[in-house]
Amino acid sequence: MNTIIKSILLTLVVLLPTSCSDSFVEVKPNDQNSEDYFNTAEEFDLAVVSAYDLLQSTYINVMLGEIASDNTLAGGESSNDAPGIQEIDDMRHTPLNAQLRDIWGWMFAGVNRANYVMEFQNKIDFTGKNVLLAEARFLRAYYYFELVKFFGDVPLTVDKRFLFGDQFTVGRTPKAEVYAQIEQDLIYASANLPAVGKQTGRATKGAAQALLGKAYLFQNKYAEAAEVLEQLITSGPYRLVTDYDNMFESVGENNAESVFEVQYSDKEGAGFGCLQCSEGNVAVGFNGIRNYNGPKYDSGFSFNVPTSGLANAFEPGDIRKRVAILDIEAWAASTGATFVKGYEHTGYYNNKYIARQGDLNTGDANLTNPNNYRAIRFADVLLMAAEANNKKSSADAIKSQAYLNRVRNRAGLSNTTLTGDALTNAIYRERRVELAGEGHRFFDLVRTSKAQESIPNFTVGKHEVFPIPAIEIQLAGNRWTQNPNY
Amino acid sequence: MKFLFIWSLVLGLSLYCEAQNLKGKVKEQNGEGIPGVAVAVEGGQGTFTDIDGSFTLNNIKKGDKLTFSFIGYETQEVIIANQTDLQVIMANAANELEEIVVVGYGTQNKKEVTGAVSVISSETIQRINPVRVEQALQGQVAGVNITSQSGSPGSGSTINIRGISTNGDSRPLILVDGNVIEDLSVINPQDIESVNVLKDATAGIYGVRAANGVILIVTKSGRLNTKMKFDLTTYYGVQSTTRKIPVLNATEYALLKNESFTFGGSRPPFRSIEGLGIGTNWQDLIFQNAPIYSLNLGMNGGKKKSKYSAGVSYLDQDGIVGGSSAKFQRITTRGNYTYDFSKKLKVNVTGLYLYTDKNSLLENSLGSVLFNALNMAPTLPVRDSNGSFTLAEGLGNEVINPAAQINDTYNSSQVNKISGTLGVTYNVFKNLEFNSRFQFNHAVVDGQLFSPEVFYGSGKVFNVARSAYTENQSVFQDYTWDNYLTYSTSFGGSHNIKAMIGSSVFKTIGEFASSTGFNIPDNSIGNATLDNVTDVIDNFQNGNNMFDSRLLSYFTRVQYDFKGKYLLSAVLRRDGSTKFGPKNQFGYFPSISAGWNVSDEAFFKNITFVNQLKLRASYGIVGNDRIADYGFVSLLNGEGVYVFNNDLVFGRTIGRLNNPEIQWEEQKTLDIGFDAKFGGNKWNLTMDYFKKRTEKLLLVAEVSGILGASAPGSSPPITNAGTVDNQGLEFQLGYVEQLSKDLSVNASFNATRLVNNVLFVNSEGGFLAGGSFGVGQEPPSRMEVGQSIGYFYGYKTNGIFQTASEVAESSAQQNATPGDLKFVDTNNDGIIDASDRTNIGSPIPDIVMGFNIGFDYKNIDFSCYTFASVGNEIVRNYERNQPLTNFTAYAKDRWTGEGSTNVHPKLSTGTNSNILFSDYFVEDGSYVRVQNVQLGYTVGQNWKNITKCRIYVLVVNPVTLTKYTGYDPSASSGAPIGGGIDQGFYPLPRTYQLGLNLNF
Repeated sequence: MNTIIKSILLTLVVLLPTSCSDSFVEVKPNDQNSEDYFNTAEEFDLAVVSAYDLLQSTYINVMLGEIASDNTLAGGESSNDAPGIQEIDDMRHTPLNAQLRDIWGWMFAGVNRANYVMEFQNKIDFTGKNVLLAEARFLRAYYYFELVKFFGDVPLTVDKRFLFGDQFTVGRTPKAEVYAQIEQDLIYASANLPAVGKQTGRATKGAAQALLGKAYLFQNKYAEAAEVLEQLITSGPYRLVTDYDNMFESVGENNAESVFEVQYSDKEGAGFGCLQCSEGNVAVGFNGIRNYNGPKYDSGFSFNVPTSGLANAFEPGDIRKRVAILDIEAWAASTGATFVKGYEHTGYYNNKYIARQGDLNTGDANLTNPNNYRAIRFADVLLMAAEANNKKSSADAIKSQAYLNRVRNRAGLSNTTLTGDALTNAIYRERRVELAGEGHRFFDLVRTSKAQESIPNFTVGKHEVFPIPAIEIQLAGNRWTQNPNY
Repeated sequence: MKFLFIWSLVLGLSLYCEAQNLKGKVKEQNGEGIPGVAVAVEGGQGTFTDIDGSFTLNNIKKGDKLTFSFIGYETQEVIIANQTDLQVIMANAANELEEIVVVGYGTQNKKEVTGAVSVISSETIQRINPVRVEQALQGQVAGVNITSQSGSPGSGSTINIRGISTNGDSRPLILVDGNVIEDLSVINPQDIESVNVLKDATAGIYGVRAANGVILIVTKSGRLNTKMKFDLTTYYGVQSTTRKIPVLNATEYALLKNESFTFGGSRPPFRSIEGLGIGTNWQDLIFQNAPIYSLNLGMNGGKKKSKYSAGVSYLDQDGIVGGSSAKFQRITTRGNYTYDFSKKLKVNVTGLYLYTDKNSLLENSLGSVLFNALNMAPTLPVRDSNGSFTLAEGLGNEVINPAAQINDTYNSSQVNKISGTLGVTYNVFKNLEFNSRFQFNHAVVDGQLFSPEVFYGSGKVFNVARSAYTENQSVFQDYTWDNYLTYSTSFGGSHNIKAMIGSSVFKTIGEFASSTGFNIPDNSIGNATLDNVTDVIDNFQNGNNMFDSRLLSYFTRVQYDFKGKYLLSAVLRRDGSTKFGPKNQFGYFPSISAGWNVSDEAFFKNITFVNQLKLRASYGIVGNDRIADYGFVSLLNGEGVYVFNNDLVFGRTIGRLNNPEIQWEEQKTLDIGFDAKFGGNKWNLTMDYFKKRTEKLLLVAEVSGILGASAPGSSPPITNAGTVDNQGLEFQLGYVEQLSKDLSVNASFNATRLVNNVLFVNSEGGFLAGGSFGVGQEPPSRMEVGQSIGYFYGYKTNGIFQTASEVAESSAQQNATPGDLKFVDTNNDGIIDASDRTNIGSPIPDIVMGFNIGFDYKNIDFSCYTFASVGNEIVRNYERNQPLTNFTAYAKDRWTGEGSTNVHPKLSTGTNSNILFSDYFVEDGSYVRVQNVQLGYTVGQNWKNITKCRIYVLVVNPVTLTKYTGYDPSASSGAPIGGGIDQGFYPLPRTYQLGLNLNF
């Protein structure tokens, strides 16, 4: 009897650790659960900050916007260096293109981060909430604008994230609907964002208005574009700077001409394993001069090299040429600098966005250049306003000329007195030289139907948009039709 | 006369009839007395030997039979003649199936074991004399394949038991005295009593952690009633590299570079060749002879109620690349004490303190020290005319002066670890034993990385413009608490049952901290502390800096045998883990095994050649829980960093996407085998067939980009979506014989044939890719249905285009020129493109073998251990292929014109496809390596206090036979997808050692 009791007791002792019971293995993670967030104003702000993060990954959008056009060639180390970029340069890209897949993924990552904030917009109330929501909507519009420009019809989600499972039911929303949402978001943002952000780099009322004007212009809604851009030009705090030589140097960052600037920093290291994680401007390192040794500049991978066609598009006396184009042979001859010729060497480099000395060169130095990307400049706003005013149904040629001439005069060029189609073409030419190297050329050519005559191998009815990455169609259940002729 | 006769009769009779006192001593073969030996006299009386091995018996008559028995020794019988002083020498019964095998929460006699368990004894470990425990396993146990991750001091090895069962973490569960160990470099091999490898469903007693096999290590514990003994082992060795890869010297380099530039349509870079001579031999410069020194002092002994063992060790090893910049130092102290409070209660305590200090150089990657030594131009001197290190201009962005690299690398880490166990064994009543064991580890790992401001050449990725200093600290703590009851009983005279029931809790937590600061004063290592720097960044800004993981388990095992002939064992374990989502938190893991000792059967008595034969089989379901924590919950540990007011701002955002259904990987494992001894127990043979199917493999499969998984700090969810199969055959044959009084011989051979096959991968395209080759190329390795895991996926080649017309004829490869590689159009679609890639090799060997031989002759002992791997392929990925980087020597055999060669393409700086990943870069990595040759001489025995003094010479890795042209065919990163790719492996060194063993 005694022994039986003893053995029962012992069995209990053996099972003693169960006093911890099954709840022993229920442990709360140290990091916060995403579904229990947004409890304070600060938490909203931190989530909005994260939504800005993906702006830095648009470096590739900027590069391809030039390389796909007649402005630059792909460049690089050899014809095998970043095959995806080489393909787009030659208009022979396919749905297997790696860079297009990056853009698809990174822009949707931005959309989801903005929608994460919007999903919980009604959780709490606090003063200044409308500003944060406006920032989130501005960003959502920015990312969707990129997606629509590159891919046409894309899956749309408003005020909630895409969660696992959604990819098997959602379809490609028609472009017009996506644009409609972009317009709504930017209208809200213009109404709720302050004229000057609480920190440098935050979205502002002017940024929303400018982006809205651009979105209207891309849809050929000239009257609406002219109207919103007019408000921006007359009541916004922006102007054209006279010291154009420093426009793209670090002293010229966030100046009076910058309506919206994507911010970068050299304070954090970066690696090739996660290019979208870099806080530096990856395009600047990629565009840099190959194995450079000399004053002012730093080394890079020699991508995105300007063509002689672009160099010759500048009129004589145009002060912008030396800011946009670096004639590397002449520079080397006069300063004794040395460099190595990369693939498709043209003799020119994109002077606005190549690596300069003087930054911290945090490792990998090629990926951490701090040059901000001037996403929307006041010059761009003026040229868009000029175009919209000239192309709207009751064209205002005087106003259009006035805006165009402001840009030309700053560049040291004479006024234009053209009207009608001639004026339109002059505006197009001005856009090319004013905004050379800033990632706009390809999309300007496409929307103005000038791509076929300017870009070799451009096929109408195909190359206006890029193909949806094949693997993305597969991963969404093989339900989407590909863009035509890919 | 008559009187004499009667008198001698009386004398004789009295001598005959007189009962004597018999004294004696029972000794080991080396003369040491054995205490505690049972001395039984037929007919009744008996005694035990005392602490010296001596015994006394009264009333012993001539003709009495005495039996001497003790566990671990062959029982001896002596028939008394005229002795008054009896010396008995007992032989080790090491070959008997009376060996003890540790099977988890208990032990079994080898004869009762029904599973595939292999044991390595401390004698074998002493013989091999390894620096790390894994080196003692290689080639000793069939089914266990060890690949070194690197030859650098202190680096680890990958252990695969019966193949690679997962694309994730395939490390087996390793317990030292029941305590979980992840890093084997902390164990001093001299402290080990035995290593028990559970290869099949026997490991099922460990449930969800058993799918990769289980290794149970027991440390030395001393012996009761033994005088305190010391053993000292020390050695000094010199290490050198086993191989240098022949590269071109300066003259050859200039000639071939000129040719290469010409073919590429550029101007040759070297105008004059004379005077270049040999140039700099970079490998000679960075390889050096490096010393290794080890000292180990152990002590053990025991009293009547207690036994103890303690030890102290010191190891200092420099690296053959980098000398002290790659050194490893280890100090350990340990103790093991067991005390019998009473016949019922026994307590055991162990403690271990360890300190290691390791310096590291960049290895096995683009831009590692060896990679740079191979690619550096031989025309450049080590230092320029100013005395500073020559800059590596024009050699691409990664190749830098390796001597400078070694000089400017300051990367060290230290480990301070305390481990302990406390065990209580209580005999509740006769057949019921209660065990409670508590085991814990506490380790602090500190790392320091100083990157001085340095310029290696323009555009180099290693240039540092702003000096930086990073300090990490990680704290790891875990404990395991096991409680189990074991009940043994027999009934019916021949039925024996042992039942065990128990529970275990395991908790492991870790905490990480890391900070980086910049601008170290004077750019000097002396000033590198976090107090001297500016702009300190916390590297764990996004959280993700701790883990807390727990396991709660209940288990039971029933072992039944009928007369020791028919054996059956059944196990069931229930595990609950924090790693699995609420829907799948608990799992049940059953296994069963059976055995038949055929040699105990009556019909077997006539088969005299075979001494023992056991057939056995096992089947079980086990799991693998080595997955990331919290995969089932969406956490805000992503990376959301932006810049406002020119400063970094850190937001909060979602990390990895979650999968609430996540669960463990599940494996069904089958084993059928037999163990036999024959030829008078001189031969032993074991063979096993095994088949393991691991399902529900955890993959991070790609998901649709619209879910945002490519955001910084995010990734697709982990899903259970793959299946892999490992099947094979193990063969192990051993031979031990005492040929004469002075000569004994032992030999063993083992071989494992393994086939790995992936059956299911639920990701887009049906595959996962991994590994890296070249710069900017597609990943070269895949896990794909129908192939072995991690196979190489690339182009097949078919010789060289010899003429332009050959190029024109092959419509598929229009951009080629004469001298380029011909690719095979495997899908016959008329063009060579990415879909022509196919299976071009696998890093998994077809067969691995070990062969060991040794003999003891008088005072001399000799042993030799050899290991072979057949059928593993390696990717040669240490050539940078930049215009001015050096070539390896086979470049001299390049194509120079029609008919010159059909193997090596022409050298050209122009664009070509020859650098794309193809079978031209996949080599046969099969090799035979003599791991260890040792010759020892026992100088003296029993001189003053020294019972044994032995000196020995040992050569580690004296010979490697292989066709592979790289440094070391045995090295691999060990990654299931992406292993077997050589970017300049730090080769395993060859070491000449001189050592001394002293027992006193």
